Formats: sequence, C-alpha cells, structure tokens
Amino acid sequence: MIRVENLCRQFGEQHGGEQHSGTFAVRDLSFSIGKGEVVGLLGPNGAGKSTTMKMLTCYLPPSSGQAWIGKVNLSDPIGVRRQIGYLPENAPSWSDLRVIDHLRFLGRMQGLSSATLKDRVREMAAACHIEQVLHRRIDELSKGFRQRVGLAGAMLHDPAVLILDEPTTGLDPNQIVEIRQLIRSLAVQKTVLLSSHILSEVEAVCDRMMIIDRAELKAMGNSSELAALASAGAQVEICVLGATMEALAEIIELGEVTWQQLAQESEAIRITARHDDPDAPLAEALFRAVVKSGGVLLELRPQRISLEDVFHRLTEEAQ
Amino acid sequence: MRAVWILCGKELRVTLDTAQGAVVAVAFLLATGFFFGSNLFLIGQAEMRGFFSVMPLLLMFFIPAMAMRQLADELNQGTFELLATMPISTWQLVMGKYLAILLQLLMLFALTLLYPASLALLGNPDGGAIAAGFLALMLLASAYSAVCLYASALTRHAIIAYIIGFSLLFAMFLLNKMAATLPPATQDWLTILLPFPPFNALLRGVIGLEQVVYFVSFSIFFLALTCFQLERRRWR
Repeated sequence: MIRVENLCRQFGEQHGGEQHSGTFAVRDLSFSIGKGEVVGLLGPNGAGKSTTMKMLTCYLPPSSGQAWIGKVNLSDPIGVRRQIGYLPENAPSWSDLRVIDHLRFLGRMQGLSSATLKDRVREMAAACHIEQVLHRRIDELSKGFRQRVGLAGAMLHDPAVLILDEPTTGLDPNQIVEIRQLIRSLAVQKTVLLSSHILSEVEAVCDRMMIIDRAELKAMGNSSELAALASAGAQVEICVLGATMEALAEIIELGEVTWQQLAQESEAIRITARHDDPDAPLAEALFRAVVKSGGVLLELRPQRISLEDVFHRLTEEAQ
Repeated sequence: MRAVWILCGKELRVTLDTAQGAVVAVAFLLATGFFFGSNLFLIGQAEMRGFFSVMPLLLMFFIPAMAMRQLADELNQGTFELLATMPISTWQLVMGKYLAILLQLLMLFALTLLYPASLALLGNPDGGAIAAGFLALMLLASAYSAVCLYASALTRHAIIAYIIGFSLLFAMFLLNKMAATLPPATQDWLTILLPFPPFNALLRGVIGLEQVVYFVSFSIFFLALTCFQLERRRWR
C-alpha cells in the first residue's frame, strides 16, 4: 500500500551538485507497508520521522527517490492526497472555528457530499469521543480533545492510508489507551503509519516498526526481530546469599558470560549475567553454579530485552 | 472551483464569527464617514469625488489588516500543513484566500452605499460618476488585496505581514506622487506599472477595457508571486 524507494530529502543548498551527508533530513529510505498493517516510525527527535511523513503526504517534495501510495506516485500530489488522512505533529486546527465547522470544512475540502459528511462527522465524533465538544470553539479545548479532533479530521473521508505524526502526545493514560484501541480497530481495513518516540506505545499498537536515526533507516521488523538484530542475547538477574560474583564466574559451566554486580543487599548480592547467544541455557547454568558454590538462591529472573535497549543500541551505535 | 469557494466560506465564517470583522467594519465606517461628511458640508455639493480620491490612501491601512492573517497565521499555527495536504492545488488555495478578502471588501463597500443614498435624499448626485467611482474602488482594492496576500505569504507573523503589505502599497503611492519630478521615460513606465493612473482614469469616468485588464493582470501577477512563495517554502 505504501512503497518507498531510495527517498532522500536534503535541506540547505547543494554545493556544485555534490551531496553532503550533513545536510540530509532523510537519506536513502526504502520500505514497503502492506494493506492492513500498522507500522511505527521510531526515532529520536530530529531523526527524520516528520520529514518522511511530510514527503509521503506531498507536503515536502523529496530531493530524490520515489514513493507510491497505493498505485499513485508522489508526482501526482492531488491523487496521493485523496488517498491519505494526515494528522500533522501537534494536531493543528483552526482555533477560531467550532469543532463541527472545522470537521465539516475538512470533509468538504476532501470532496464529501453534504449527506455523507453529516454521517461521517457523527461516526468519527463517536469513534474519537468528541461528541460533547462538537459545538465548542477549538481554542477552548484541552490538548487531548484537540488531538482527538485532529484524528477525527484525518479519518473523516475514510482514506485508505492514515499517516499520523505522534498521535498520542498530550493525551492522558486513559485517552492513550482509547486512541491505541481505535488505531488497532482501524487497521483491519486501513494502512497506518504512525510516528512516536514512546517505545511502549509503538510496541503496543504496531505490527512492525522502523527505527530511524540521523536521517537513515537503522532497522525494520517486529519487536523480536529487532531484538535479534540488536544482538540482544540472553540476560538473567539473580539475587544470592553467601556467594560472590567471582566465585560464580569460576564455577559456571557456560562460556562467555558477562557479569555485572547491581547491588549489595545486606548479606545478599544482586547480579546480572549476560550471554550473547539468546538460546544459551543461562538460567540453568546459573542455578547450578549457585548450588555448587554453596550459596542460596533468593531470586532468579530471566530478563526480556526491551525495545528500549534495542533502540538505545541501534541509535547510539554511531555515536 | 468548489474547493476555492469552500475555503473562501471558511475564511468568511471566521471573520463573521469573531469580533475581528465587526471591528474592521466600524473603523472603516468611521474613517470613510469622516471624509465623506467633511467634504459634503464644506463644499456643499452632492458628489463623492472627495470620498473616492482619499480612498487609495485609506485602503492602504485597512487592506493589509484584512489580509495579514490569511497566510501568515496558517503558517504560524501549522494549519497551512493541513491545507497544503488537502487534494487542492496551491493556486486554488491562494484563490480561496483572495476571494475571501474580496468578498469582505465588497461587504464593507456595501456599507458605504449609505453615503450615495443620503446624497440622493439631499440633492441630485450624478449616479454614473458614483457607479464608476465604486467600480474604480473595487478594482483598486482587488489590486491592493493581491499585494497584501503576497506580503502575508512572506512571513509567519501577521504583524510583519501588515508592515510589509503597507510598505509595498505606500512605496507605490510615493512613487506615483514623485512621478512628476522624474525623467519622462521613467514617468511613462510608472504610468503603465502603478495602479493609480488607471484608478484616476476610472474616477474621471473613462471606463475602458484597458483599465479592467490592467487591474486583473496586476492582481494575477501578485497572486502568482504568492503561489511561487508558498511553493518555495517547501523546498527550503
């Protein structure tokens, strides 16, 4: 549904046709997203997430490269814009208008007929829980409501592709859960590309995610694929009484374990052990080592490599 | 064309829903009323020449105020991104905004029809001259609007847009005043380029296709510049 090939966006001037790496906002981006998929665009601030979305909505022209929304190439901006619903960062809206006028205006601009518009406004207001503020002026609304008005506006014309730039910023935890559910329920018929720097959110909502850092795509896949990509390995945290880290390191029947002492808790110590092979029987080996050393195992907790770790590793590698 | 009218309708709604429209209308009536009334009672003639001749200067203060927010505010609030990702062209966007200013001006001028109506009660004014005056006024206002819409596309700050718009118009006004002191060749060029000679011709009752074509081309030139400026922003 969305296909992107070698998309680049440079800012500033090109010097004599030479391309300077420092001036890229997005560099050599290629990916494709199928129908019904929800894909998250992750990256630190200024990584190129918004620029990518702005190019896909034909707001900013790419410096080079191609992209298709459905079968329409970016060279046909009006054709592309008919197929997408776009929520820009910070959900801008006309603060002097009432919510209902704002939505009606957006719907009419998208070419909806009066009859369809009335139904769609009602449906979207219900889906985004903004019925009670439909007749209020937008500048009287809280950030959360404005965000939801923006989302309703993006979905009004029932587009095949939704591009949402940080859709949950400014929402409280309950609203975040609601919006996530809404996005998930939409995903059955639509293709959704959303950006965020909240990792747990992307993990909860998206089928796949892309990590972008300093204008380049670092990785793409679902969370376990990304964890593998970041060579996550296996990690176990234990708390033992009457044994030292050095003693355990000597006894353990497993090579290449890296140790780290986290804390000393009165008599007991808390240690993490890491092994590069995610399938290594680390927990078992640790248990045996503790028994052998004569210590008492108070706690043993295999640790899941979080998306945070993957993200840190992928985005800090280059630094 | 549908999108142009929808956009224009939204702008009018904002003006009519907020105090902004009323404030401009009251200020406009106060200012024009002063110039109309003072001439009427000083000269004691049922005519509006004084009123029309002061309008080029008066509109220089009002039109930048009506146009300043049109694009600058959209750029500042981020709503320009919403508009620019609608299935419409930049030209349609600019035309929608331009028509909205023209319709607001038309409403303001409609209010001033009070003056010829009161003249008709007092004396026997020349209807043809007054009609020509209003035509001249609308054409000049359309040219001013195009200049000020361009000024609004140059910046994110409405107040700066006002200053740019006013300065451009005032510079043209000064050039026109200075024309007599300039070499004849330059004078000829200024007569062709500036909107004041055709405006004065219309006021004198010389209504030709020439003047209308001049004002339409003048507006199109500045509207095209506005489109160009908006497109240029995307490449920065």
